[in-house]
Amino acid sequence: MRRIYLNLMIAIRSLYSFKLRTGLAVLGVFLGTFSLILVSNLSASLTRKGEMEIEKLGRDLLVVRSGTIRRFGGASRLLSEATTLTMADAAAIAEGAPSVLDVSPSSHRTFPVRYERNVLASILVTGVTSNYPNLRNFHVKEGSFFTVQDDEGLSRVAVLGRKVAEKLFGDSDPLGRNILIWRVPCRVVGVMEEKGVDLSNVDQDNQIFVPVNTFLRRFVNKNYISTIYVQSAGSASTSAAKRQIESILRERHSIRQGKRDDFTVIDAKDVAALKSQATSMITILGRVAAGISFLIGAIGILSIMILIVNERRLEIGIRRAVGSRSRDIITQFLVESSFISLMGGAVGVLLGFLVTVVVFKVSRLPFTISPEGFIISFVASVGTGVLAGIYPSRKAMSIQPVDIIRS
Amino acid sequence: MPLCVLEDVKKTYRIGEDEVEVLKGINLQVERGEFIAIMGPSGSGKTTLMNIIGCLDIPSSGRYILADKEVTHLSDDELSVLRNEHIGFVFQNFYLLPYATVLENVLLPTLYMEHSKNGLARKRAREILELVGLSDRAKFKPNQLSGGQQQRVAIARALINNPDLILADEPTGQLDSKTAGEIMDLLAKMNEQGKTVAVITHDAGTAAYARKTLRIRDGLIVD
Repeated sequence: MRRIYLNLMIAIRSLYSFKLRTGLAVLGVFLGTFSLILVSNLSASLTRKGEMEIEKLGRDLLVVRSGTIRRFGGASRLLSEATTLTMADAAAIAEGAPSVLDVSPSSHRTFPVRYERNVLASILVTGVTSNYPNLRNFHVKEGSFFTVQDDEGLSRVAVLGRKVAEKLFGDSDPLGRNILIWRVPCRVVGVMEEKGVDLSNVDQDNQIFVPVNTFLRRFVNKNYISTIYVQSAGSASTSAAKRQIESILRERHSIRQGKRDDFTVIDAKDVAALKSQATSMITILGRVAAGISFLIGAIGILSIMILIVNERRLEIGIRRAVGSRSRDIITQFLVESSFISLMGGAVGVLLGFLVTVVVFKVSRLPFTISPEGFIISFVASVGTGVLAGIYPSRKAMSIQPVDIIRS
Repeated sequence: MPLCVLEDVKKTYRIGEDEVEVLKGINLQVERGEFIAIMGPSGSGKTTLMNIIGCLDIPSSGRYILADKEVTHLSDDELSVLRNEHIGFVFQNFYLLPYATVLENVLLPTLYMEHSKNGLARKRAREILELVGLSDRAKFKPNQLSGGQQQRVAIARALINNPDLILADEPTGQLDSKTAGEIMDLLAKMNEQGKTVAVITHDAGTAAYARKTLRIRDGLIVD
């Protein structure tokens, strides 16, 4: 230990005369650890965010959409909207599927919304049933959600999303006020809590909820709906619930064998899995970049070590004369090269850490630190140093004191 | 048994096609506690002789026994251990590490000792610096010292592992005559304290400090 310490003190002072070149040499290792830390922290954070989104969507939730859905990249698009999904389908699922706990049929469309002189040109208006808050794990903050009676009685009541409430009413209390949705006057009975953007990138705070029957009769005058939210009986039974829903709907919609469904059942986990695939791509690309950086770092350190060994031939000769064995010399230069590498690594870790903190703040990602990023960085830094030091230290070892002294 | 015994030591170097015999059969004994000078003009083979006595090199033929150990056939690393345990070098050009402090330079051989304790080594280094009159310069760098002071540091480094033999190669070659006298006085003092000292030089004034002088010419001891 003492030997390493004393040798390092001497080495640091000799490196001091190559400040710039040493700095350039460690740049690669610096970038390598930097991207490792950044990528592993980011992907840990994105994974965490995905989990949080599943929780936000509601655990054990299945979504039945009318029509078929295709995915392009990350965004889902509704290719066709069928007119076959109905309130009766929702009731049939609730009764016929044993793995289903609860259902909430829903439909939506954008409408202009007005309060006094304040007009919002297009706001998503969603018709839902009174059990929707429980299913989606999305609750009322002020006032109350509408009731089963409101729904059955086609009441003209509305619950506002947080942002809509702010846009329409500013600081004043919206509860009990009448707003005009399209041509229908509705009384505001509640304001939802803040929820953010969900997995399908819909801003949950920028919409208005009305009873689904009110919506169908008074707003769109249609018999079909677009979505049924289904809560399965625990996460173990989601796939069973999915199968049951599919067979019930195929039968009810008279879809013969071999024909395509006119609906899509989406599992919250499917969506999350798709997102985590994207995340793991980022991780892989980041690691490849880090690997290349480490390779460049190794070459940099290799060249600075060759330079150092040449500059210090006399020192090596003296050390050999006073009794250092060739393996002492090898150890000395391996320690030196891994020390140089670790210095670059330490700076990279520190900066990578700082940058992730900033990125988390700016993009509002959950603050997550990946311990494996730190471990890999440390191991890769030392490994790079040792690998890059092998050739130069073998060169150093071959220096004989008789060649140096007196020459 | 004498400290160093050289029996018919020959050393041949190959330069291109030619073989050059630098030492042509040296017979030499150095007793413990002796202070000898080996004198000779340049090209006489005295540096090669010193390399062999100092275990920096091995003879092409003949035998060399240092402190009852046969050196002739030792490996590179075994020679290192032997140098570390038995020999303290003092060179013409001092050969201190420029970026290490005086104390660190003195401690350098202890880094390669089998059993060396940090506190003990440092204590001993400070004692030896006191002995050579540099205790107030421990934190200095070599380039902050005069030539004479640097050579004192080198002598302190040679003493740190308590070697059997101090081998000085032209120790006064880079010094003015007054400083040279001081350095030779210091080596003589070490000899009085029981150290065996061998000085290789071409300078008669330096050789005069020794109690015995050997002359080498064309690879042979002449008297």
